[in-house]
Amino acid sequence: MPKIYTWDQLFSRRQFIKGGVAAAALGAAAGSGLLHPKPGLGDARSTVASTLSGTKYVYTICEQCVWRCGVIARVENGVVRKLEGNPDHPNNAGKLCPRGNAGIETLYSPSRVKFPLIRAGARGSGLWRRASWDEALTYTAEQMKKIKDKYGAKAMIFNSTDNLSQPFFETLLKAYGTPNYGTQRSLCFNSMTTGFLYTYGVAQPGTDYANCNYMIFSGRNLAEGISNIETQEMIDMVARGAKVVVLDPRFTKTAAKAEWLPIRPGTDLAFFLALINVLVNEKLYDAKFVSQYTQGFDELTKEVATYTPQWAEVQTEIPAGTIRRIAREFAASAPAAIAHPNWRTSNFLNSFQAERAIAVLNALAGNWAKPGGLIPDQSINTAKLGTLPHPSYPAAVGMRLDGVPWQFPMVPLAYGVLQVMRDNILTGKPYQAKGWLISRQNPVLSIPERQKTINAIMKLDFIGVIDIMANDTAYYADVILPESSYLERYDGLVPIGDEIFIRQPVIKPLYDTKSSLMIYKELAVKLGLGDFLPYQDEKDLLVQELKPYTVSLEELERKGHYRVPNFKEDHSKDFAFQTSSGKIEIASGIMAQMGKKAVPTWEAPPKPGPDEFYLLTGKTAQHSQMFTQDNRWLLEIFPENKAWLHTTVAKKLGVKTDDMVIIESEVGKIRIKVYVTEGIRPDSVFMVGGFGHVSKGLHFAYGRGASDSALHKSLADPISGSSALSQTFVRVSKA
Amino acid sequence: MTVRMGFVIITSRCIDCDACMVACRAENEVPIGFTRNWVTDSGAVGKFPIVKQMFEPGNCMHCEKPSCLSVCPTGATYKRADGIVLVDDTKCIGCKYCIEACPYDARFLNPVTGKADKCTFCLQRLEQGLKPACVQTCLGKARHSGDLNDPESVVSKLLNRYPARQLSPDAGTRPNIYYIDVPVAEIPSGT
Amino acid sequence: MHTEVTWGLLIVVYLFTAGVSAGAMVASNAAFLLGGDRYERVARWGAYLAPFPIAFGTGVLLLDLGSPLNFYHLFMTLQYKSPMSWGSWAILLFTLLSLLYLYLWLPPRYQVGHVIKRVRAWKGGLAKGMPILAVSVASYTGVLLNAADRPLWQIALLPELFLVSAMSTGVAAVGVAVALSRRWRASHEEKLSLALVDIVLVGIELLIFGAMMIDSQIGTLNQQLAYAVLWTGSYAAAFWIMIMILGLVVPLILKIVEVRGRLPWKWNEWVGLGSSLLVLVGGFFVRYVITYAGQMTGWLR
Repeated sequence: MPKIYTWDQLFSRRQFIKGGVAAAALGAAAGSGLLHPKPGLGDARSTVASTLSGTKYVYTICEQCVWRCGVIARVENGVVRKLEGNPDHPNNAGKLCPRGNAGIETLYSPSRVKFPLIRAGARGSGLWRRASWDEALTYTAEQMKKIKDKYGAKAMIFNSTDNLSQPFFETLLKAYGTPNYGTQRSLCFNSMTTGFLYTYGVAQPGTDYANCNYMIFSGRNLAEGISNIETQEMIDMVARGAKVVVLDPRFTKTAAKAEWLPIRPGTDLAFFLALINVLVNEKLYDAKFVSQYTQGFDELTKEVATYTPQWAEVQTEIPAGTIRRIAREFAASAPAAIAHPNWRTSNFLNSFQAERAIAVLNALAGNWAKPGGLIPDQSINTAKLGTLPHPSYPAAVGMRLDGVPWQFPMVPLAYGVLQVMRDNILTGKPYQAKGWLISRQNPVLSIPERQKTINAIMKLDFIGVIDIMANDTAYYADVILPESSYLERYDGLVPIGDEIFIRQPVIKPLYDTKSSLMIYKELAVKLGLGDFLPYQDEKDLLVQELKPYTVSLEELERKGHYRVPNFKEDHSKDFAFQTSSGKIEIASGIMAQMGKKAVPTWEAPPKPGPDEFYLLTGKTAQHSQMFTQDNRWLLEIFPENKAWLHTTVAKKLGVKTDDMVIIESEVGKIRIKVYVTEGIRPDSVFMVGGFGHVSKGLHFAYGRGASDSALHKSLADPISGSSALSQTFVRVSKA
Repeated sequence: MTVRMGFVIITSRCIDCDACMVACRAENEVPIGFTRNWVTDSGAVGKFPIVKQMFEPGNCMHCEKPSCLSVCPTGATYKRADGIVLVDDTKCIGCKYCIEACPYDARFLNPVTGKADKCTFCLQRLEQGLKPACVQTCLGKARHSGDLNDPESVVSKLLNRYPARQLSPDAGTRPNIYYIDVPVAEIPSGT
Repeated sequence: MHTEVTWGLLIVVYLFTAGVSAGAMVASNAAFLLGGDRYERVARWGAYLAPFPIAFGTGVLLLDLGSPLNFYHLFMTLQYKSPMSWGSWAILLFTLLSLLYLYLWLPPRYQVGHVIKRVRAWKGGLAKGMPILAVSVASYTGVLLNAADRPLWQIALLPELFLVSAMSTGVAAVGVAVALSRRWRASHEEKLSLALVDIVLVGIELLIFGAMMIDSQIGTLNQQLAYAVLWTGSYAAAFWIMIMILGLVVPLILKIVEVRGRLPWKWNEWVGLGSSLLVLVGGFFVRYVITYAGQMTGWLR
């Protein structure tokens, strides 16, 4: 009988320490939160002495979120002591955010999964047995083969989130032959990317903060949703006196630096339609640009005629005068004025229309490819990596479980609708999914209606998770394939503009873990698909990616980046819009084709009933989505999420800050502490997402705060597939 | 002119991300549960919807007349010629008198060492020509450090150009952190 | 606002016991010098008590240190600006000399040889010198807090308050001892005198608090906020009930009753004992409330 472990035993310090450096670092980290305590710790002078020996600096790339900042790691005698921003990296210019600074704690966390685990009790029982890599990979491959043989490849779902090795995971799923691939996109930015794609033929145009004089944010909170260099640029922008307007029902830390408009949730669309109305009526738009580069302006004129500021005031609860003033200020600053594309505006089903209105407003300002305006697609001006040869992929047979395109004809194929995929596991329609392989994603916490996701998992024959920690999905898995942390592994190379950056191991893996590159590769081999990932090891892969260039891998490792010589930026296609008309489509050809109104149009959002509140969700600067809440250094600065209530609401409920309340939606119920503030609309409740973990494998995160996904209803915009996370209404009562 | 090391903090550029706190923890191996620096958050002040919010980073002020120093019974706390206030662990008995005496609550008893602990101006970094970890990592370029007596330093240039204040002047310790609340468009170059 | 408590109960005990010792010592010295044989029992019990509370308190203080094994550094230097530094020297000296003083008060069979002859002379010398040291030790506990930069602790009358409180608790401690002792039970005159002294000391304490209340109306905003923690803030209950009522006003009334002597003898005995115990409780809470409340006060930014 192999030994069965509980989570507590897996965390126990003495159990699995491999000796040497790992032991010292781990022991210290687990014991006191220090790495390697040494005598005279508080005395700076003794620290100086210790830095003189055995210190090296290693360039790599951060993975405390998905932004990919450049890092220089200071390693002393095999222990990572300090992470610092790489000043030469365009994503962060030498700075690291709190999460980036806390990467060391992620590396040395006692919650790391230290070797492959195979479930030894019922799903979610928390009983595991240690497996060798060969056994764990063989087991995974056998399960996947069994499903393929019996039900076809389509019965297997693959999931991952934006990361450096994602292309190789996608290769694996294409080689396996399933049409079912889930990503975070529909939970995040589908309405934005789809809206801009249909208008400009570009899913995600950039924004020139450095030269912009007027910025309207309506769903991009750069002070709390940190995208390092963009956040820096936003701060600089505010400091030099550029006008920033923030539409948010909550007073965010970005709003603290700007003019705050506490808009009624779900009505950003009305605000932007009214801005368009003013620009059109008062002829404040860039007529030359509009006639030269756009189509559908006349149709727009007709549509927005009734969307006056007075009309919008009723919808948004922002005074008409303010709306008119902002429209005029915005136009006066154009083209150095941007209505930011955001990630997801108000997060309602009408967000697609709101994004379309934003896209059109920018077109009226004529800010495309102008200083201080929107920046066209940058992928054309990005260095290309060498590709790996592989056999042709098998045809992916079967309808997609996420309903694209049969249920969601207008959702771009690459984006998908994750929440619907989950629902269709439960319904078994159009066919029953049997297996789920998830790499670096946590559907249990990320998809609305957590309980449904858990139920879906319970229905499957097989679920495998590849991650560095036992996240909430891994908690229910059959097998956990432990990945090396980002400071211990290689990933695919990252080209940014004319430069190529590398993530490389800063230290050797502390435990019996592997890079995802090798996990995918070895799994492919066990599945008989090894030819699709033709590399011996990570270095072999990177050498192939570097083939077009003269630089050696060793040099790239040493310098951290490589600048492609004589790289010429190509701007010839800046105005070659990839739309059906070849122009910026104020009136969308695709929308018209689908029999929908071609120009942005008002869709009234639902309102909460009496005694109900809007449930808003958002970010904090100290955590990334749902994967840093176990990091003790970050818990020190943001220990748990709380429900924001307006002072008057709290008074009525008879609660004060840190009292417990019960929040209830149609689909779930949570208990959470209260934060009482004047910085939120009295009709809204706000909570940061990512807390309320159910996995006891997350030693420090377990039991902290509450999960918004337990409350969120599953709603998918029929056009973009975007999940309408804030279109959930809740009741609040004193606990 | 003697060296007088200090900080200038531009509150208008701080977004309360707390990167400075984590960077300090890493650089100085500060045990969990304690911190050598901080960012205070005023919360939303005012009445909805007219509210404002201020963030104020801080750490040991390396005062001209440090009360922590004068109360120390063993001479463990000392002020260097360049103004940096430090604790000599070999002499510290952990009586916590300095912790009580500091008007800024900048000190704590380190449970691992049993000594009074506080910001050391990242001396180990200064000696390598680096800025303190909190200054280095600051996303908003809100934290700055240097020689307040050197006209070529960033801190001096900032203080020349913008109005500044000190915290709790009533405490009478003459702190060496200066706060600028107005917008600072460009950070001057300097040492 | 500072909310964590860095100096806790151990420090309170230290401050309190140092005061009791100092007070007991002064009571003994005064009784010996001024009262001669008539006050022999008070002098004796004061001498017997004095070394122990402070020794206990110092032991407790060591427990509170982050690096107790490093404590000897206190005595490798004299930091004249640091009250704790000279206070530690004073306490060391006080404790050693009070042990010597105690030795001199031991019945002759416990004393060795020729010392006996000079005992009275030495006693006299010490009794004249010790009050200076005792007053230093007692006011040191106030100066200690005074020097830490917190608004409440910077109250001007704090050392005076702690000094008077130390004397009253010391006298009360001696009062308890002589009331309970079988062998050296106090005379009626001794008891009356002790009670009178306590009445005076408690009265002065009340006057000091009165002065503080006036001060709190005219001081800076920082001071007003600091005082408010005592008068109306989170330590108001402890202040008013444990210090003002149980620690000062009630024992004052009881002492007056005791001195007037209209009660039956047995009752009077209990009134005297009870009021002394209350003075001790009050003295303890003076240290407790000031130490804790002081840590809640900070300077306005």
